[in-house]
Amino acid sequence: MEQSSTSALLQGTVLDLASDVVSALRSGDHVRAGSTLTGGGAGEGVARAAVRVLGADTLLPSVLLRIPPDPGQLAVFKDAVAAHPPRDEAAPTVVWSHWAMTRALRRAEQPLTTPPADEPDAEPDARWLDGAGWQFLTHQLAVLAPLALPGEECAVTRVARSRPVDVARGFVRAVRRRDWQQAAGAGRWLTLLDGVPDTLGLEAGLDFVRLMGGSDPRVALQLEAARLMPAGVLL
Amino acid sequence: MPSKDKVLEEVTRTENIDIDAALDPAEPDGVFRDSRECAALALQSGGTNLLLSPPTPRPKKG
Amino acid sequence: MNVREIEAAALDWVWAHRDRFALGDDALAADGQVNRTWKPLGELTQVCASVARCTPPGDPLHTRVCELLDFAWQQTHRGELFPLMQTLEPFATYPLEVYAAFASAGLRHPGYEASAAVLTRTRGWRLTEQYPTRRLGVLEAERRSGIDPHGDVPRALGRTWLGGLPEPWTFERAAGYALTHVVFHLTDWGRTTRGVPADLADYLLHWLPPWLDTCLDARMWDLSCELLAVAASLPRPPEPAVLKDAWQRVAAAQTTSGAIPEEGAAQDAAGADPGEDPYDFTDCYHSTLMAAFAAALATAAAARPPDVRHAARHAGQGAPG
Repeated sequence: MEQSSTSALLQGTVLDLASDVVSALRSGDHVRAGSTLTGGGAGEGVARAAVRVLGADTLLPSVLLRIPPDPGQLAVFKDAVAAHPPRDEAAPTVVWSHWAMTRALRRAEQPLTTPPADEPDAEPDARWLDGAGWQFLTHQLAVLAPLALPGEECAVTRVARSRPVDVARGFVRAVRRRDWQQAAGAGRWLTLLDGVPDTLGLEAGLDFVRLMGGSDPRVALQLEAARLMPAGVLL
Repeated sequence: MPSKDKVLEEVTRTENIDIDAALDPAEPDGVFRDSRECAALALQSGGTNLLLSPPTPRPKKG
Repeated sequence: MNVREIEAAALDWVWAHRDRFALGDDALAADGQVNRTWKPLGELTQVCASVARCTPPGDPLHTRVCELLDFAWQQTHRGELFPLMQTLEPFATYPLEVYAAFASAGLRHPGYEASAAVLTRTRGWRLTEQYPTRRLGVLEAERRSGIDPHGDVPRALGRTWLGGLPEPWTFERAAGYALTHVVFHLTDWGRTTRGVPADLADYLLHWLPPWLDTCLDARMWDLSCELLAVAASLPRPPEPAVLKDAWQRVAAAQTTSGAIPEEGAAQDAAGADPGEDPYDFTDCYHSTLMAAFAAALATAAAARPPDVRHAARHAGQGAPG
């Protein structure tokens, strides 16, 4: 298979999957989140890869709406975690997004199984963000937006919590650059952080990002997450 | 001829490359465009011309 | 990269091109282009007045800008053109705004100030329709020219973009130029950092970094230099890393002649091998002046202790430098 066509197919499936999640978050109907995965449209391998790319957010409806995930969807998610572990020299965002998936999986499965005997997955370090400029910090956090969840506690969320003004600056920068995906991801983080300057006008800012970039389901997903975030209670 | 395993391995490798690129994306170039200035409608322009001014009266026929 | 070197190079370019700031016959002509005559001369004067204040006597840069001030004052026939302009265009505000730049450098014409005061007392002058930022500038021009300001500054400030503390992501070029000038007027062009109210200072410290970063990214060198001047006009400076990064990017845009283009389009037009002095005067004089202005303020700000009254108010986050 040509790499470019694999890539296009993968990207299209990620968008479909993101649309499913957006529909579920908007309607509160988690079953619809599974239609791309269970509808047989995409090949198994591509579907798995798309879940890996969308990451832990694939299960976001069940987390934020507090409803158990669809079993078929959960099975694909589990396959994706197993099939695409980070390579040895993988970038921190690749490692962290995989870690976020394993954590989401464990949380989703916990009610179904006996308490896990094994120890929690070792958390990667966040040293690559030590002393990071606010621009790079915001870009990396936006890529790792699936970690932006109420009550989430890990090295990345601790970094984000220590730099609310910098993430707010990154949001302004992303909007100025018309990078709606980064703006939406940064905006999702900002809904969780204390110490964001009031003058940012986050609520109007999120509405603006929706107006300008909301037709991209990956942008819409972050904005829906941001909308539900204050009400969401994790675990 | 490559074995089935070899093909599978190749596909997986390709997918992983795509996946890594998607999970560690470079930042796109910024797109900058500022609002343009348009003078207020019906404001004097160029000394004599008026925007949205009534049409110049023409001699009546007949 | 050294900010003082950027300043010196920019002033070298200005000195070498000072004849282009000279007032020609069209300065008084009814159809003359004010933006090509009085405006550049006023800007030259303002920047030189500020640099003179920021540098000690005996410093070569101080000597240079004093010579340029002399040159500019001569262009106005030692101020005599101002009353003449007034007889031609009594209700124009720009002659007073240009005059105020000279007055701030101690170059004054008492007769002009007295006759200007007659006009500024009219209702018509007070009601001149202008952008709020420009209105603030006229008030400050009156004050600097020894005239009772026709209105109060806080009220004028409240009508500006910056004064209303807008969402920082709504920033665009026009808002940027409006806000830099608000700060220039409030601080008497960087002279009194206390002129910036505490809430505005906090607001600017929060949002100058993304504005600077995106303007530099868009190669808007002129506005970037103005934002750097604003950064140096605050009671407390932004983080050093923000300033260092911005100055490095400005330095990279400066040609060996010292010129800095207003925007990237001039660089594109100059091509890949632009030579020493590739830009038209109109495409670079303003940004080159603004670079000298910002660099002078930045150098002076680095030598001054932060204003403790304002420093305590700043909402920091302990961000790594």
